[in-house]
Amino acid sequence: MAELNFDKVLASLKLRLDEIVDEAEFDDVLKEYTGKDSLLSVERKKLSTLSKEDKKTYGEKLNNVNNSITSNIKKAEQEFINKKYTSLENEENEDITIDWITRRGTHRHVISQVMDEVVEIFASIGYKVAFGPEVETSWHNFDALNTPDWHPARYESDTLYTDHNLETLLRTQTSTVQIRHMENNDPPVYIVAPGRVFRSDQLDATHSPVFHQLEGLAIDKNLKFTDLKGTLEYFVKQFFGENIETKFIPHFFPFTEPSAEVLVKWNNGEWLEILGCGMVDPNVLEHVGYSKEYQGFAWGVGIERLAMLKYQIDHIKNFYENDLRFLEQF
Amino acid sequence: MKILKSWLNDWIDIEDINSNDISEALESLGFEIESKTEKTPNYKNILVGKVLEIYEHPNADKVRITKVDVGSKTYEIVCGAWNFDVGAVVPVALPKSEIKDGFKINKRDIRGVESNGMICSASELDLWDDHSGILKLSSETKLGSDFSTIYSSNDTLWEIGVTPNRGDCMSHLGIARELSNYFNLSLQENSNELKPNIENVIKVNSGRIKACNSYQSIEIENFKLDDSNLNIRYRLSAVGVRVINNVVDYTNYVLHDIGQPLHAFDRDKLFGTISVRFAKDKEILKTLDEQERKLDTNDLIITDDDKPIALAGVMGGYDTEVTDKTNNLLIESAYFDKVSVMKTSRRLNLISDASIRFERGIDFNLQKQGLQRFVNLFENEQDIFYSNIIDSSKNAITYDEVKFEKYEIEQILGVELDDEFIKNTLTKLKIEAEVSDTEIRFTSPSWRYDLERPIDLIEELAKHYGFNNFSSTLPIGNNLNSKGDYWDKRLYLSKILSSSNFYETQTLSFTDSYSNELFTPEKTSVKVINPIDRSQEYLRTNLIPSLINIYKFNVENNNHSNRYYEINNVYDDSNHKIFKDIPNQEYSLGLLIPEIETVDDDRVKTKSNDINSLTNTIKKLFPLCEFEQLSRPGFHKNYSYLIKLENKIVGYMGKLSYKNKSEMELEQSLYIAQINTENFEFKQLEDNIYTPLSPYPYIKFDLSFSVARDFQASDLIHLIESILKENENNISIFDNFTNEKTRNLGIRIVTRNYDKTYTEAESTQILEMIVKEAETKFKIKLNRRAENAT
Repeated sequence: MAELNFDKVLASLKLRLDEIVDEAEFDDVLKEYTGKDSLLSVERKKLSTLSKEDKKTYGEKLNNVNNSITSNIKKAEQEFINKKYTSLENEENEDITIDWITRRGTHRHVISQVMDEVVEIFASIGYKVAFGPEVETSWHNFDALNTPDWHPARYESDTLYTDHNLETLLRTQTSTVQIRHMENNDPPVYIVAPGRVFRSDQLDATHSPVFHQLEGLAIDKNLKFTDLKGTLEYFVKQFFGENIETKFIPHFFPFTEPSAEVLVKWNNGEWLEILGCGMVDPNVLEHVGYSKEYQGFAWGVGIERLAMLKYQIDHIKNFYENDLRFLEQF
Repeated sequence: MKILKSWLNDWIDIEDINSNDISEALESLGFEIESKTEKTPNYKNILVGKVLEIYEHPNADKVRITKVDVGSKTYEIVCGAWNFDVGAVVPVALPKSEIKDGFKINKRDIRGVESNGMICSASELDLWDDHSGILKLSSETKLGSDFSTIYSSNDTLWEIGVTPNRGDCMSHLGIARELSNYFNLSLQENSNELKPNIENVIKVNSGRIKACNSYQSIEIENFKLDDSNLNIRYRLSAVGVRVINNVVDYTNYVLHDIGQPLHAFDRDKLFGTISVRFAKDKEILKTLDEQERKLDTNDLIITDDDKPIALAGVMGGYDTEVTDKTNNLLIESAYFDKVSVMKTSRRLNLISDASIRFERGIDFNLQKQGLQRFVNLFENEQDIFYSNIIDSSKNAITYDEVKFEKYEIEQILGVELDDEFIKNTLTKLKIEAEVSDTEIRFTSPSWRYDLERPIDLIEELAKHYGFNNFSSTLPIGNNLNSKGDYWDKRLYLSKILSSSNFYETQTLSFTDSYSNELFTPEKTSVKVINPIDRSQEYLRTNLIPSLINIYKFNVENNNHSNRYYEINNVYDDSNHKIFKDIPNQEYSLGLLIPEIETVDDDRVKTKSNDINSLTNTIKKLFPLCEFEQLSRPGFHKNYSYLIKLENKIVGYMGKLSYKNKSEMELEQSLYIAQINTENFEFKQLEDNIYTPLSPYPYIKFDLSFSVARDFQASDLIHLIESILKENENNISIFDNFTNEKTRNLGIRIVTRNYDKTYTEAESTQILEMIVKEAETKFKIKLNRRAENAT
């Protein structure tokens, strides 16, 4: 019996597979070597003419050859695909150190961010945001806050006025919102009032005619000095971190008594003032007509001061120049 | 205010207390520590010597040769100062000693004469600023002694802040009184009774004026104008007072010692009776600084029979001042009202150590003691003659007893203070009080203006108890989970804008009238009457010019063209909408988008914007808003719109006019908006209702219509939405092509039925219905259509 030279077939297959340039050709090759018109099919047709024994032997052989052709093709195809992926991935080799996206920060002004953060802290213990006018009556800015009419803060060198009788002015403190709020709301009161305040100062490294404060006010039955301490200690820890040390030292504000300043111990061991506070003076509560069973505490904190400490900003002018190099850092 | 430890030690025995503990005490009592300096000698091995001989230098005119005895030995020293004679006792720096700042002294040849060191001035030893020559010491000083042992050089100096309510603490006595309680030490008495030995020449009458409760004086004869003693000069210079002569130094010393300002007149230049009155309008007084002061009726003055002689509590007169020709003195010790002194000193911008003390209020019983201290200081140095003290006081000031229930202490402070502590503290502070089981009665001492009410005394007790000794409790407020509409809106707007490439700005509220006129000529500006800068004397009526300024600044300085927004107040002179007596103020949002925008991806560099960039931003902020075209000043004629929310105007927006663009020297057009955030509520912004998701596949058409130039795409979208209102839809414009002749509008419709998959026939039917209705309703024409387009 004339057997086909199968080694030759397999050798030719190998050559054929090496020539493949496109994935789709593998199907063609499979057809060529195992399909209807393939040498293998021709040989299979011959099987019927063989003796039973030869048929079995040759049949088995043909099967083996078929398997080996199929597996060679499959293997070659797999290799071809793997190689294709490898080369695709090899080609993709960007320099990832290039920073194309120039956007930095949140695009929110750092003053707003700090105000939000402070509001958020007090909101978490039951305070709501209140606000009031920036052009105020002298009465709300001074008299109602127990500031005597001879007080130097009232001088035109310190305060910006909008009428010649000195009856309206640009508020010098957000404490005015205490009065506005209490005039229009019954106790209990738990509010914070972030906002702009104004002083007669040129814009420079340490002064600005416009700056921001956040005023806080809590009025209820039974609020005591110990509550004031606990509330502000909570704020300081939330804002500066659990491990910050705080101390309260006596101070003077016309509209609180006792009054205190809160200091925090900075990294370098220095104690820095960060806010003023006190028990609301009974005169203030009387001015707004609250009954004697209510009392409470108030505090004020400078937003620029907090921002300067938190981000180590050394120049107040930065806040109001709005230079992009500054804005995009936050 | 500056205080010295050695000076405090005159009043309380704190020599052995560590200065850090004193700092802590001061701070806990409410005196802010501005600085603390440990003073040590800035010199080494300086000895006390006596000048035995002085002779001319053979080769130099400006220096002399001295022979100085330093106890064990005598030295020849060349000296350039001429303010001393033979017999002067002086500080001597021999070779191997050091003067100020580590300067080493050696033997030196001065024009052929060997000098064995130098004789020192106060400046050279860093004691105080004095260029008048060498420092002369008391003739009794032991020769050869180490200078640092006769001069208190080891000391602590504090600079502290005293709050404006505590005038009584503006002296060493005042501070010592506070510390005496803290350290539980007793306060010394430091004044000796006087023994007058001459008659008074000048009469005194403090008049009927309330502003001068007390005027006292004493006359001194047979005094010599000289340097004050070393200790006084040391103390005054340490607390920052310029050393002048004994008369001036002693008045300053009394002021810093007990807080009573004094003034010294040349008695022989006074005539008749000293009295106190308010000045006549335009009355003239030449003050010590040789300025002719034009007075007005608010100025309290001192006069004699002829003329004004001093501005009460502020500054003395030139004509009656003490000079080196003065033979006799009259010393004034008065109590002037704080308001009067404040008005005059501020108006004339004359602020002195005395005026600051009067402004805060001095002890109304201190005048006599002030004069006693002055005379005591003088007596120690010279054999002077002095008169009785003339006291022209009204004693008009009295304090009533205040009483309150003891439980009020706990009610304010949250802790109970025990009786022992209360009694002790009040005794140490010299506050007369009775403490019973239920009640406290007290009367304020003459130096305390701040103890009028129960709360004042409770504060005092709290302070001495120590704020840091109180416990802390955290009360919870009544507004959980609610920051309020005002803040919610601010956060909502910021969140959207900052994530849409806008930078938030914070600019000053001041502007010029031109900027206000530009966009809001209908508003009257609020003017600041005392502006910081005359060119910025108005409050802004809108935020747009501020945004344009920041935009231009960053284009010019950083070459970046960006979007900006600001949320802040604008102001105008109409009445405030809620409150009486103040101008209108609106919390506003301003927006700016440039035509060509720098984007934050460097591969792309820039992005173009048009009017839709602005309208789309505003739609994103206010999903339910509508625009109505209305030409406004400053804006482009067509691109100028009102923004309405539920038929209420909330703001306006558009494109900057070409005229303004050119006048402002802008290279690009700007799209700008001004929105009043008080004209809507936060809940009006919410458009967030869930649209159910259909489980069926979508069908999609792209339609292209030929439309008129002024056709509004939103009309077509609304029509299609109404046709497909039962479906889940996504309808969008994908093309808007315009040339001179035609305009084509491409619209994409993606729709799903909630109940079924559309067949092809149904899909075509829907498409045809839409086209037919659109063409009929709007007179537009379909150009092209594509079903299931990709």
